[in-house]
Parts: sequence; C-alpha cells; structure tokens
Amino acid sequence: MIYFYDGTQTSFLTAFLLAYGDADAVLTSGSMQLALGEETRFVKADPARAKKAEKRLLALDAGCMEDLSTLLRSGDCDRDMVAMNYMRRIAEQGGPVRNMLADDAVLAAVECMRRVSFEVHRFHGFLRFMESESGALYAPISPDNDIADLLLPHFRKRLPAYPFVIHDVRRKKAAVYDGVNTFVAPLERAEVVLSADETAWQALWKNYYRSVNIPSRERLKQMRGYMPVRYWKFMPEFRGE
Amino acid sequence: MISEEKLKILTESAKYDVSCSSSGSNRKNEGGTGNGYVAGCCHSFTPDGRCISLLKMLLSNDCIFRCKYCMSRADSDVPRVTATPEEVCELVMDFYKRNYIEGLFLSSAVHRSPDYAMEQLLVTVKKLRTEYHFHGYIHLKGIPHADEKLVREAALYADRMSYNIELPSEQSLKLLAPQKSKESLLLPMRQLQRERNIFKAEKRKGHFLPAGQTTQMIVGASPEPDGQILRLTQSLYRVTGLKRVYYSSYMPVVHDSLLPEVPAGERREHRLYQADWLLRFYGFSAEEIVEEDGNLSLELDPKCAWAMRNLHLFPIEVNRAPLEALLRVPGIGARSAYKILEARKYTKLDFSGLKKMRVVLKRARHFITAGGKFYGAEGEAIRGYLGAAEAKQNAVQLSLFSDRETVLSALTGEL
Ligand code: SF4
Repeated sequence: MIYFYDGTQTSFLTAFLLAYGDADAVLTSGSMQLALGEETRFVKADPARAKKAEKRLLALDAGCMEDLSTLLRSGDCDRDMVAMNYMRRIAEQGGPVRNMLADDAVLAAVECMRRVSFEVHRFHGFLRFMESESGALYAPISPDNDIADLLLPHFRKRLPAYPFVIHDVRRKKAAVYDGVNTFVAPLERAEVVLSADETAWQALWKNYYRSVNIPSRERLKQMRGYMPVRYWKFMPEFRGE
Repeated sequence: MISEEKLKILTESAKYDVSCSSSGSNRKNEGGTGNGYVAGCCHSFTPDGRCISLLKMLLSNDCIFRCKYCMSRADSDVPRVTATPEEVCELVMDFYKRNYIEGLFLSSAVHRSPDYAMEQLLVTVKKLRTEYHFHGYIHLKGIPHADEKLVREAALYADRMSYNIELPSEQSLKLLAPQKSKESLLLPMRQLQRERNIFKAEKRKGHFLPAGQTTQMIVGASPEPDGQILRLTQSLYRVTGLKRVYYSSYMPVVHDSLLPEVPAGERREHRLYQADWLLRFYGFSAEEIVEEDGNLSLELDPKCAWAMRNLHLFPIEVNRAPLEALLRVPGIGARSAYKILEARKYTKLDFSGLKKMRVVLKRARHFITAGGKFYGAEGEAIRGYLGAAEAKQNAVQLSLFSDRETVLSALTGEL
C-alpha cells in the first residue's frame, strides 16, 4: 500500500500510525509513478491520532520529534521513507536508536539530518543581507532543504535592532523578524528598494574579497568544495559589475 | 566610508596572516549588534581556497620597523596609508549587518612607535565595543614592545589576541626581524595568559580574551628543522597555554639576500599542521613525532610515520581497543574513533560494519583487526600502500588554514 501524505508532521504521524503494521508500506509526500494495481491511500492529517503517535514515540525517545521535524525538512527525494524507517526502528527497539550507526535505517536518517543541519550552518555564513530604504534587511536564499525558519533564531539574536526578511525564493516563503516577533509567511516575490549606500557597500565588499585572495595559491576545486556554486547566486562577491 | 584604495592596501598587507578563525568565543549580544559563534563560521571562500570569516586588515601599514620579509617595512617603497578608528568601526558594522563577516581581525604596522600603534588599536576596539555596541568577534594583534597597560586594557575588549612569533628561533629573529626579540613577543603572551587565568579564577565580570591567544610562525624563511618547531609549539600549548599555533609557508614577497628566493613547500606546512593536530587532539607528544633535529617525512603523514616506527603495537582489535589506541591508528580520525566507541556498544563490529559507518579503511586496515579478521599487509610492505592512499586524498586535504577546516578537522579529521 502507498500512503500519500501532505508533508506536514501531523499528517506524517497520522500516516505512520496507519502504515506501521504494513511491512510493505510506502510513505510519500511527493508524486510517484504507480505500478498497475498498486493500492493507494490518501491520508488526511488527523491531529488526535497524530498526538497519540507522538506521545507513544516520545515515551521511547524524548528527542525523536525533533529528529522527525529535521528529517521532514530534507530536500532529499527519499526523505519520507528515511523518516518512516527511522521512526519504525525506534518503535521496534523500544528506545533511542541514533547511536546504532551500523544500522542502515539509522545511518540513512542520521546522514539525512546531518545534511539539513549542515546547510543551516552554511547559511549562517553564506546568507547575504541587503539594506532596504527603510533600514530593514532582505536576504534571498534558495536552500536544498526547507530551513528558512531555522535561520531565524541565529540572526535575531545577532541583529536584534534590524527587522529582516529571509526569503526562500524556491519554496516561495519568508521567515520574518519584524523587530519584535518572528513568523513565517508565504511570499511569492519581493520588491526591495535599496538604501542609498547599499550598492557602495556591496562594491567595497567585492573589493575586499578580491584583495584578500592570494592569486599565486589558486585552489578553485577546494573553494567549490567548501562553498558549492549553487550557493553563489545571491552573494555580491560573485555577481559581476 | 573608507575608500576602496585604502581598504585594498590595508587588506593586502594583512592577508598573509593565516589565522582567520572566529571560533572559541560565546560572547552574548548585550544590547547592540553581534555575538560570538563558538564553532566559528565561514562567510565566504576565496579562489585560494581560504575561508573568509573576519574582516582582516591593518590599521596602518606605515612601519618604523624593518623586518626583512615584510612588504610594509620602513625601507620599502610602498604607498603608506592609515585608517581612522571611525573608518574601521563603520566598516565592521556595515559588513557585519549584511552578514559578510563574523567580526574583525585587526593588526597594525608599528606606526610612529609601539605605544602609539597599540594605542590606536585599543582606541578602535574600545570604540567598537562601547560606542558601536558591537559584540561580534574581535581578534587583535599585539604590538611588540608596547606598554603592558595598553595591552592589558585591549584584552578586555578583544576575544582573541596574538603575537606572532614569526621565526622559530632567537637567532633567526635577530637576523630577519632585528627590532623584535623573543622576549618582546613571549613576555606579553605570558603576561596575558597569567592575567587571563586570574580573571577566570576570580570570576570577574566582563571578558578577558575568551578565545585565548594564538601565534604564527613562518616556515622555510629560516633554517630551523620541524623537530625544533614542534617542540616550540608543544611548549606554547603546554606552558604558555595558547589555543592555536599557525604555520605559514614562506612566500617571497620581498627580495633580500638573507631570504630564500623560492617559496617553501606547501607540503611541509601541511605536515606541520597534521603534526600539530596530533599534539592537540590525538594525545601525541612532539618527542614521539620527530627527533629534535629532524624533519617530518614528506612521503608519509606524521601519524603513519609514527605507526611505521611502532609496528609492534599493531594490529589492534576495534571491538576492544581503548579510545587512546584507536586515535593512534592511521586513517582513523577523532570522529571515527568516537563512532566506533558508540557503535560497538550495540553490536560486534566487522569490516563491512566499519565501511557502512564510513570509517575510511584504506590506511587503517593495515593496523586493525575487526572481529579477529585482518585484511592488511605486513611489515614494510605497508609503506607503499600508505603513500598511495594519501596521494588519492590530496585534492581535498591540502591547505589547512581555512576556518571550516579548523573546525571540521578537529571533529572529523581523518588523519
Ligand atoms: S613590524 Fe615588521 S612585520 Fe610588522 S609591519 Fe613592521 S616590518 Fe612588517
């Protein structure tokens, strides 16, 4: 049986409860090719059931809901099954499994979670704000994983005096700090009027970036390893004059 | 706003300083802008593969000293510029809020006098902290021969300070940096360390170099062998309490009859960093790694070289060996060693299990058994395999002075 769910945690837990007894269950939130005669079921989020599943799982592993939330943010195409198999292992084992690193299901989940949190760490560095006329900061991003809101606490702590918008242009949503509160909202396109100095600061930064390089030691391969090209798009130092 | 030309000159004269780490400080945002990031954070990478974490610049390149290897030395014919403290503060704030940088690495030539130069550095960091309310990372270079009161006060505002030892012996220092002396570098380091300890012990309010001190040595400008360098490093870690020692392979930016014409090999620098990790994270002593008048092997990494000299200690059984022994296996890094400790609580590990856990076995297999099985070569035959295994990895491994590398290698370095 194939269980379709909408990608949310509540819906996942509802589906998990339904599919748990079915050893051949496939769980998915994306589209998939159906083989002829394949049985399918569209799972609607059921908060009461989800709560029940959550309670049971939490009793086995107090950290498992955090893990699940991380897994469901992953942009990997197999993340639904990775999450399903991981939660199933917790249930079978009757306790935390995250250190059982020789277990395939655990290893897949641990690596998937690591990719998500690594990308959060990367964006703490690679995200670039631009200053708008009002003084608010705007940063477009296009991350592999659904992490825009995970970036909020870091930048809020760091820049409490500056309202900011982190815009995931791929998922068309924004993580916002309005100077007091943080929230997430859908955002298709943003029109940003830049502050008078913004272009000059960007130019100064590009100038710095060029000056600090040691050309006789060029190692582009290594540079791209640390900072894959897909992240360059919104960084002023890589945009032409 | 500081001019592009000025920033260019002040950056280009600072860029050969290899320490760029922003790690080790957990300074909080106390109403203002910025905070520390304990693990450090890279904001960009330049085409030379290095991480940009801090805005690295000099306050002035107008020097009265004459260090032979330096392009800012008094008798060199370069344009001289000096930035004002305000220019630097404004630059830091505007770069920081756009998330270009993690903080500031500020150094200076000996402008007018050691005290004057140190004072200008102090004025700048004090202004940043108290007027601009900046709580991000600040690494400040100390000026040799400056009044200790100025140094002590600067330490209240900086997260990290460094005096660069530059040359690994008094003799070379005399020859190549005649106005500096070993004492003018080591004394302030010791003084700062003493005061930092007192500050901590008395649990005083505020900060005193939360990220400690570092230093840097130029390798290959003078004749000291690796054995001597590593013994100095070891004493800097053990006695002086430094957080990091950086090595920078010599690059001829100026010509002088006392200096070599060719750059020092980067492989040597690489080997020194590997040996440095063995000192800091793997429980080795300098004496185990290389004899005092010897150099590190360029062919084998220092851990492999040590293991080849101590074959009688191997192979060890991964299911039983204590952590200290696992850490000494070539190819098993700190991260793999900890993974093995965890995983073997649940199951008996065999080679396929190790592989699944992404433990790299290319070199390790000659030194371990898993569940009693051994898949390595014996005796001297191992040497050939070890060299080949490293050659394959080189693309990723060479160059070690970027910040992410610092952090990750500490955790994951698969030496
Ligand atoms: S003190 Fe020596 S190394 Fe420092 S700027 Fe002056 S000449 Fe260069």
